[in-house]
Amino acid sequence: MRFLICTIFVVFYSTFALAQLDSIQRLETVYLTDPKLKKFSEGYQLQEISDSTLERTTYSLTNTLRNNSTIYFRENGYGMVSSASFRGTNAAQTAVIWNGIPINSSLTGQTDFNTIAPNAFDELTIKSGGGGAAFGSGAVGGSIHLNNSVEFVEQQTSEVRLGYGSFDTFFGNFKLRKSAENWYMDLAAQAISSENNYEYLEQDRLNENGAFKNANISFNSGWKWKQHTVSFHSNYFKADRNLSGTLTAPSEENYKDETTRNLITWNFRKGNWNHLTKVAHLYERYQYLPNKENELYFQGKARTTITNYQLDHHISEKIKLTGLLDYTHIEGEGSNIGRNSRNTMAAVLLGKHELSSKFTYGFHLRQEFLNDFQNPLLFGLDAKYRISSTYHLSVNASRNYRIPAFNDLFWNAGGNMSLQPENSYQADIGNDFHFGKFNATIRGFYIASTDLIKWQPNAQGIWSPVNIAETENYGWEFSGTFQHHIKEHRFTADLNYAYTKAIDKERDKQLIYVPFHKLTGILKYSYKNTALSFQTLTNGEVFTTTDNRGTLAGYTVANLGGEYTVYINKHPLLIGGAVNNLFNRYYENVAFRPMPNRNYTLFINFKF
Amino acid sequence: MNLIKKISYLLAITIISSACSSDDDAGNVIDDTPQGDFDNGILVTNEGPFGTGTGTVSFITEDLSTVEEQIFQTVNGSDLGNIVQSLGFYEDQAYIVANNSSKITVVNRYTFEEIAVIENDLENPRYFLTVGDTGYVTNWGDPFDNSDDYVAVIDLETQTVSSTIPVSFGPERLVANGDKLYVAHSGGFDYNNVVSLIDTNSNTVDTTITVGDVPNSVVLDGVNLWVLCGGKPAFTGNESNGSMYQINTATDIVSQSFDFGATDHPSNLVFDASDLYYGLNGEVYQMKTIASGLPTSSVLSGSYYSLTANDGKLYATDAADFQSSGTLKVFDLLDFSEITSLEMGIIPGGVYFNN
Repeated sequence: MRFLICTIFVVFYSTFALAQLDSIQRLETVYLTDPKLKKFSEGYQLQEISDSTLERTTYSLTNTLRNNSTIYFRENGYGMVSSASFRGTNAAQTAVIWNGIPINSSLTGQTDFNTIAPNAFDELTIKSGGGGAAFGSGAVGGSIHLNNSVEFVEQQTSEVRLGYGSFDTFFGNFKLRKSAENWYMDLAAQAISSENNYEYLEQDRLNENGAFKNANISFNSGWKWKQHTVSFHSNYFKADRNLSGTLTAPSEENYKDETTRNLITWNFRKGNWNHLTKVAHLYERYQYLPNKENELYFQGKARTTITNYQLDHHISEKIKLTGLLDYTHIEGEGSNIGRNSRNTMAAVLLGKHELSSKFTYGFHLRQEFLNDFQNPLLFGLDAKYRISSTYHLSVNASRNYRIPAFNDLFWNAGGNMSLQPENSYQADIGNDFHFGKFNATIRGFYIASTDLIKWQPNAQGIWSPVNIAETENYGWEFSGTFQHHIKEHRFTADLNYAYTKAIDKERDKQLIYVPFHKLTGILKYSYKNTALSFQTLTNGEVFTTTDNRGTLAGYTVANLGGEYTVYINKHPLLIGGAVNNLFNRYYENVAFRPMPNRNYTLFINFKF
Repeated sequence: MNLIKKISYLLAITIISSACSSDDDAGNVIDDTPQGDFDNGILVTNEGPFGTGTGTVSFITEDLSTVEEQIFQTVNGSDLGNIVQSLGFYEDQAYIVANNSSKITVVNRYTFEEIAVIENDLENPRYFLTVGDTGYVTNWGDPFDNSDDYVAVIDLETQTVSSTIPVSFGPERLVANGDKLYVAHSGGFDYNNVVSLIDTNSNTVDTTITVGDVPNSVVLDGVNLWVLCGGKPAFTGNESNGSMYQINTATDIVSQSFDFGATDHPSNLVFDASDLYYGLNGEVYQMKTIASGLPTSSVLSGSYYSLTANDGKLYATDAADFQSSGTLKVFDLLDFSEITSLEMGIIPGGVYFNN
C-alpha cells in the first residue's frame, strides 16, 4: 500500500532531478583536497547536497542527510547517538571521509552523525556503492564526503546566523571567508544548545535527560606559489549530551565527545604529473557517565596519524592513472580497551580510460599490509555509457571490507583479537535521465557480505564478537528533481525513494532497523524575496527483533519552512522560520524512544 | 488458600520446589476451580530487549499445550517496564520486578489485572520474596556504587516501601527459612562473595557468611542452604574457580564446600526432590544433596539462560540471540527426555508456577 502511494506520488508530481554529478569541470581557481572522489567515480552515483540546503541545516548532519537522501538513520531519541544505514548495511559500513581522510571512529568503527557540525565544510557528497579500493575500510554501502573548498579568487564574505527554537534551543554560527589570487582562508564557528525536553505526545511526559550542547570551530587556509599549492585544515568539535531515557526506563547518563582533525596538504604539479602529499592527525575522545550526578566515568580515546602520497599521471587526455601510498598509525586507549595500536600500509592504484566521448571505464585496486588481518585485494570496476544526451547508463562492481574496530578487538570483556575484516561484494547499476527541467536516476544494487562481526554470548556467557553473520542486500533507489519557473515564480521538487531488502542469511529474515521503504520529498516555491518549502520524510515499518516478530510502525513527518530576504546596503538578510513535525505526529525512530512533537525554529542569516 | 499452597508459593519464588509439591497437587483437587484466566499454569518472565523496550510475561497452560504471550499488556494495555527481572507471589497477588525501570507492578496473579505500582524507594530492584506478611526486594542501587545497596521492605497492605535494610553490594537472589532471610550477593556489576542473613523480626542483618566468589544462586533443601558460586570470570584478570557451599541453617555455618575446576563457572542452581541441578560449560549436572563430591558426568547437554526444577520436571530457558523470541524446554527429570519446547518472549529468564 505504502509502495502504491509512493508510486502515485512519483507519477503525480513527476518532478525530479538529478542529483547526479558528472565529472566536474575542474576550475583552476578551486583547489580540491580530494581530487580522486570525482575523478574516479564515473560509474557511481554522486549526490551533492547543495549549499543552500547546508546553509539551512540547523542542528546536525543527521537532519540534512535524513531529509535529502535515501540513507536511513537510527537515532536514539532526538539529538542522541545517530548511526547511518546505507542500503541496509550497518553503521560501520558507511565511511565518512573528510577532505580525503577517513574519520570514522577507530574505537567504534562508525560515525555518530550528531557529532558532525554542518557548517564546518563546504561540500557534502554522498557516494552510493562500495568504494573500498579508493577509500578503505568501511566504504561498503557507500561513503559520505565532507570537503572544504579552497578557492583562489578575490573575495571577502562574512556570514552570521542566529536562531532560536522550541525546547530552549539556541544556535548560532559565524563564517568568515577571505581570499585572493594566491591565498585563501576561512574561519567558522558554530554552537548549539538545547534543553530538548520535548513532550511525548499522549503520554503526559517530557523527554527528560535529553539536553545537549555542542560547539565547533574550523579553520581552512591555502597558498599557491608557482606549481605548488599548500593547504591547511583544522577542525575542533566538542559535545556534551545527556542521553535520553526510554518510555520504560529513565536515564541519568551523560556522554561527552571531543574530536580534533588537522590536515596539511601539499600539491605539486608538473606537466602531466601531479604529486599530492598529505599529513593528517585525528584525535577523538569520549567520556561516558552512567550517572551524570556522579564522578564515575568510562572513557576512550584514539590518535590517528595518516601520511599519504598520491601521484597522478595523465598518460593522455583520455587515460588517467593515480597511485597512492598511505601509512596509518592508530593508538587507542580506554577504560575498556587498554592501550593498543595498529599500523596499516595501503597501496592503491586507480585508473580511468575515456574510450570515446560516450564511454568511460575505470578500475580501482587496493592492497593493505602490516596490520594483523588477512588483507584481501580490494578492487572496483566502473563504467559509464552516455547513450544519448537524455540517457546515461552507469555500472560498478567492487569488493570491499570493514576492518574490526578497537572495541571489537580489545573490549574487556569479550573483545576478540582474532577477528578478521568483514567481506563484501557489491554491484550497482544506474540509469540517469536528463530532460532539461526534469532529471532522474534509478539505481539497483546488490551487496553480499560475509564474515560480518556480530556480538553474541560465548560459551562462558560473555558477549563477544565473532565473524559469523552473512547478509544479502538488494533493492533499488530513485532520486529525481524538477525545476520550473513561470516569470518570477520558481518551483523545485526533489524526491528520493529507496526499497531495501537486507536479509540475514542464517534466519532468512530482514535485518532489524532496516526499513523496506524510505521516501523523502521536498517542494519549494519562491517568488521574489519570499520562499516556502514543504518537506516530508517517510520511514517504513522496521523490525525490532531478529525473528521479525517485533515491529516498529512506520511514520511520515512533514516540515514547513518559510523565509524572506531583505537587503541592507545590498547585503542580504534572510529571516526564516520552520514548523517541524507540522501535523504533530507521534513517532518513534527507535522503539520506545519518542521523537519531538510539533516544534518551531526561527532564524536570521546575514551575509556581508 | 490452604497453608500448604501458601508454602509452595514461597518455594516456587525461590526456584525451589520441595518434595511436598506432589502432595500439594493432590490437595489442589479440592479447590481447582480456576480463579482467572491464568490460574493453574506457568508464568514465564521475559526480560525484553536490553536498553530499550519492555519485558513481558508469558502464560503456559498446565498441560504445556498452549502459550499466551504478553499477558500483562493484553489485560492492561500498558507495559511492565524495561528488564523484567523476576516475579514473586503473595496470596492472590503477583509482584513483577522491572529492574531497569526500577518498579514493581502488582497484579492479581490469576487475572493479571494491575493492582498497584511500587516505584518509590526502589533502585535497580532484582528479586522479590515474602516472609509472613512482608515483602523483601533486593536492590543494587546505583550499580556502579558499592555502598548504596539495600533490601527494600515492602508493606504488602499499602504496597509501599516501608523501610530499607542496607546490605553488602550486589544483593541478588533470596530464600527464606522461617523468619530468617538469606540473601546471596553475587556483586551486581562487581564481584562479591557473601550471603547476608536478615532477621525478619528486626529487619536487620544478623550476620554475613563468606562463601566463594560470585554466589549466583541459592536453594534450601529443607535443612541446608546450598549456595552456588560462579567464581570470577577470566576477563577480570583475576579469575577464580566456581564452588558449591553447603550452609547448615541451624548454625548458619558453612558445613562443607566443593571447588570446581579453575576455569569452571557454574550457574543456575535449582533443587527438586532430593537432587540439586546446575549448569556448567554447556551441560546440566545433577547432584545428590548427600553426595560427597561434585558430579563428574552431566545429565543433559545445552547452554541455558535459566533453570527451574519443579515436581519432577526441569524447565530450561534459552535466550537465543537475545534479540528475538527465546524458548522454554521442559525435561522429565526421570530420564531427562525432552517433553516439549515452547516459544517464549525476548530473553525468558524466570519460570513460576501459578497454582
